[in-house]
Amino acid sequence: MKLGIIAAGAALALGLAACGSGGSSGSGGSTPAGGSGDIKIGMSISTLNNPYFVQLRAGAEEEAKKLGVALTVTDAQNDASQQVNQVQNFTSQNMKAIVINPVDSDAAAPAVKAADRVSVPVIAADRGVNGAEVAQTVASDNVAGGKLAAQELAKQMGEKGKVVVLQGVPGTSASRDRGQGFTEGIKAYPNIQVVAQQPADFDRTKGLDVMTNLLQSHPDITGVFAENDEMALGAIKALGAKAGAEVKVVGFDGTPDGLKAIQAGTLAASIAQQPKLLGQQAVGNAVKAAKGESLQKVVAVPVKVATKDNLSEFTS
Amino acid sequence: MSQEILRVEGLRKRFPGVLALDGVDLALRTGEVHVLLGENGAGKSTLIKMLSGAYHPDEGRILLDGRPVDIRTAGDAQRLGIATIYQEFNLVPDLTVGENLSLGRPPRRFGFVDVKAMHDKARELLDRVGLDVDPRTRIGALGIARMQMVEIAKALALDARVLIMDEPTAVLTTSEVDRLFAIVRQLRDNGVAVVFITHHLEEIAQIGDTVTVLRDGRSVAEVPADTPQDELVRLMVGRPIDQQYPREAEPPGRPLLKVEGLTRRGAFEDVSFEVRAGEVVGLAGLVGAGRTELARAIFGADRYDEGEVTVGDRRLPRGDIDAAMEAGLGLVPEDRKGQGLVLGADIAENLGLVTLGRASRAGFVDRTGQRKAAAKVAAQLGVRMSGLEQEVRTLSGGNQQKVVIGKWLLADVRVLVLDEPTRGIDVGAKVEIYQLINSLTASGDAVLMISSDLPEVIGMSDRVLVMARGRLVGELPADEATQDAVMALAVTEVEGTRVR
Amino acid sequence: MSDKARGWLSENGALVALVVLAVALSLLSSDFLSVSNLLNVGVQAAVTAILAFGATFVIITGGIDLSVGSVAALSAITLAYLSTTSGLPWPLATLLGLAVGVACGLANAALIAYGKLPPFIATLAMLGIARGLALVISEGSPIAMPDAVSHVGDTVAGYLPVPVLVMLVMGVIAAVILNRTYAGRAMYAIGGNEEAARLSGIKVNRMKLVTYALSGGFAAVAGIVLASRLASAQPQAAAGYELDAIAAVVIGGASLSGGKGRAFGTFVGALILAVLRNGLNLLSVSAFWQQVVIGVVIALAVLVDTLRRRSAN
Repeated sequence: MKLGIIAAGAALALGLAACGSGGSSGSGGSTPAGGSGDIKIGMSISTLNNPYFVQLRAGAEEEAKKLGVALTVTDAQNDASQQVNQVQNFTSQNMKAIVINPVDSDAAAPAVKAADRVSVPVIAADRGVNGAEVAQTVASDNVAGGKLAAQELAKQMGEKGKVVVLQGVPGTSASRDRGQGFTEGIKAYPNIQVVAQQPADFDRTKGLDVMTNLLQSHPDITGVFAENDEMALGAIKALGAKAGAEVKVVGFDGTPDGLKAIQAGTLAASIAQQPKLLGQQAVGNAVKAAKGESLQKVVAVPVKVATKDNLSEFTS
Repeated sequence: MSQEILRVEGLRKRFPGVLALDGVDLALRTGEVHVLLGENGAGKSTLIKMLSGAYHPDEGRILLDGRPVDIRTAGDAQRLGIATIYQEFNLVPDLTVGENLSLGRPPRRFGFVDVKAMHDKARELLDRVGLDVDPRTRIGALGIARMQMVEIAKALALDARVLIMDEPTAVLTTSEVDRLFAIVRQLRDNGVAVVFITHHLEEIAQIGDTVTVLRDGRSVAEVPADTPQDELVRLMVGRPIDQQYPREAEPPGRPLLKVEGLTRRGAFEDVSFEVRAGEVVGLAGLVGAGRTELARAIFGADRYDEGEVTVGDRRLPRGDIDAAMEAGLGLVPEDRKGQGLVLGADIAENLGLVTLGRASRAGFVDRTGQRKAAAKVAAQLGVRMSGLEQEVRTLSGGNQQKVVIGKWLLADVRVLVLDEPTRGIDVGAKVEIYQLINSLTASGDAVLMISSDLPEVIGMSDRVLVMARGRLVGELPADEATQDAVMALAVTEVEGTRVR
Repeated sequence: MSDKARGWLSENGALVALVVLAVALSLLSSDFLSVSNLLNVGVQAAVTAILAFGATFVIITGGIDLSVGSVAALSAITLAYLSTTSGLPWPLATLLGLAVGVACGLANAALIAYGKLPPFIATLAMLGIARGLALVISEGSPIAMPDAVSHVGDTVAGYLPVPVLVMLVMGVIAAVILNRTYAGRAMYAIGGNEEAARLSGIKVNRMKLVTYALSGGFAAVAGIVLASRLASAQPQAAAGYELDAIAAVVIGGASLSGGKGRAFGTFVGALILAVLRNGLNLLSVSAFWQQVVIGVVIALAVLVDTLRRRSAN
């Protein structure tokens, strides 16, 4: 009796979830008749709890629709072990290729190995995989992006002044690479001094709080580099009227909210990754791999500096 | 033949707001049972906690074999050969008897617990206390009496030379008490010095050799155990108590509580009786006869299957405490600490618990009014406290019970059900509670009193109902209720009952 | 030391810790002790404090509410979605946002009081459900808050931040509920001894509904304050804040086993966390060490308080 109720409840919940996700990931049922009609691709995304990855998914789905392949997208909720399960499930669902956007570059290896064992090609998207062979890595270059950010910030600051850096979640590769690129890049400007580097965990609220606190100890800064747009937007909130005027803020990712802030003049620039393009390329190459075509090992999706001048390129 | 083993001189201990011990002396000899007697709050617990390392004295000293010792921890006490059996046992219910007996120092072989050696050792210890259980039995599966035997066996395992027992008989039946006494005597004859705490005066002559009486944190006398009870009471309370059971019967009025055909399968069956205004009705029986279950069902704390309960003219819905209280019913539960009191809250808070709803208007509590009422009732009951904001946890048992009764007095109950109202309470406080019962009935209220203390049931009730195996098996008027008559009914075998 | 002074100290151990922390920071950093910085600390404490006031009710009853962070996000997303995306008038949207918080609390309480689930499990389930619903409604992207509501994140008279005012008001409400109302006194009794409370006629299940509904309602207010500060409701906002809230309550002297706790203590606990984070930024402590320091201070604050209480007994 009790079991029946639980089973019914579970079935209901699954049904609801299926309805809810139908619109976003289910190109499965309505595959147009075409050359690639029987190709199924699985994609495991690290988290959909972040607009950047939501865009990555959008690009992937667009590409899948264009090529007429069935794409199944799962959300690993930033849990590496869940991601391993998802990839294993893909292999048992007879996916012809798998796109993985690793939660953690090291922890993704077992999942990739599992796919390799049944000879399903794996494309790593946005982050690489350490310790296992993938068919291709499609990623933007975070170190290069960090350098670009340093150059753009220096230019807008007139190559002099004091800068603070808002760091992402300590220990993540994105934070490490962007920070490293920025530090290398800013060395070229002897009159610019980095006065503080503090973590705000890629989070907008924390960006606001940490920036507020830093303004107390460093009221005379003229530049801010935030390792993502979310923190940059928080910092802009803390800077108030100073943002865009006395203090130049450079973010990273080129999210829709970030681009809006560039339009408004409060954000000086954002290093735009192109998550949609990234998603498109990952799925496009996954289809190629599924058809047995050979791929180059690394595709570097270009990062671009988005400023007010070239904004139209990004808002299409 | 016997020599002094432990000596305590001028112990003092102060807690915030209370001087718990104010100069206690005690001389303990090998091979004697030394009874510690005193009202709750006299300092017995504080004293034994110092001997077992739970507290450290502010002043005074403890000598073992004539040498001063410093007992800082339970481990220190153990090493010195002092073992203590508290009322709340120190056993792990989910481990076996054998594991409990070697807790913390199991016999080992190659780094693993040597189960066989552990059980052999346990069996030997259990034999010494005359307890016939398999060492692989889980502690939780034993009854209280047998758990206590395991505690004693544990003390033996430590080669205790001084064994302190805090009210070991409070939870035992008569035959279990006899067994316990036999073991205690045997220990004594083997040269162990036993410190024995009890509230049952009649036990003192049976088991004790010497009595030290504590009063208000001081040791007031050391007397032989055959000292007459009256004299012991006088020493303990500081004044003579004329009458242990000062019942003043009233002519009964109309029925206030009517119970008809009440049945809860597996607990009690077809119970009918009534309690009239001005009456104290005693409910006697063996532990497990279903009395507590009956009381809880009447009050609405548990559901019942059949029958009905009427208070005044109102028939109470099943399992509805609210309705029962509304009708004027109150329950003083058996387990004072577990069910009667919020131990971490203060006296005022506890006294105001039942009237909390009544003292609220639009959700807001009239706390000033609540406090005033609490102050009044605390004074009326003579609760001994440093102030209304004292935590009830720190009150003595008798004073705690006064608080539980007090919260019902504030609610103007008409029928009060008392479940073991004086368990673990000293003589002086008992009499005060009896007087409270008198004043309740004098003002026309009714009392249903469950008690396993036969002299109390007989001494305080106007009528005695006896339950056995879930059924009401007899009723005795006050003048016919003797201990023998009640016991004869209480052990009645009930035919065809489903109750086990 | 007199008994009275000792009694006061044992009641206000957290306050002592806060003062020590503040003195230490003002010696270490010249920027700490300024009106503007202290107001910043107040603003940064506000969301945690409001969540923690709600958690105080629950912890006093001996329960736990892990869902407050998620519920805060869901309430703010609901408000923003109804107002910005669906075009409902903002007062109605705000009311519905608050109602969602209360409803989540009631659902928790129903599972706990009638379904007899342990509070840890019931609210853990709600942690996932509320966060998930916030993502479903927002489709994973931030939604702009209506301008009228965003003023909650502003300052009045040029310097007084509204979040601080909201925090103080919610704190007073919490204190009044705990000290003066039937529900509040019942919470202490239930947390102290649930069976004794029941046998004294306190409607335990109904009071649990009230308790968790309050926690949900306070979480909704916290979520709205948080979103107003950013002028944007984010589905991933306040993730993990439940742990900060619980830490604030416990630092403030409440016992996780129930029956003890005060709104003022919780307030001080939230301030300790905010002062600490502020101070670490001012002193430019490295990212990796910050987490260590915060953990150590939480442990120390509770430890000092526990030791003080023990010595007082």
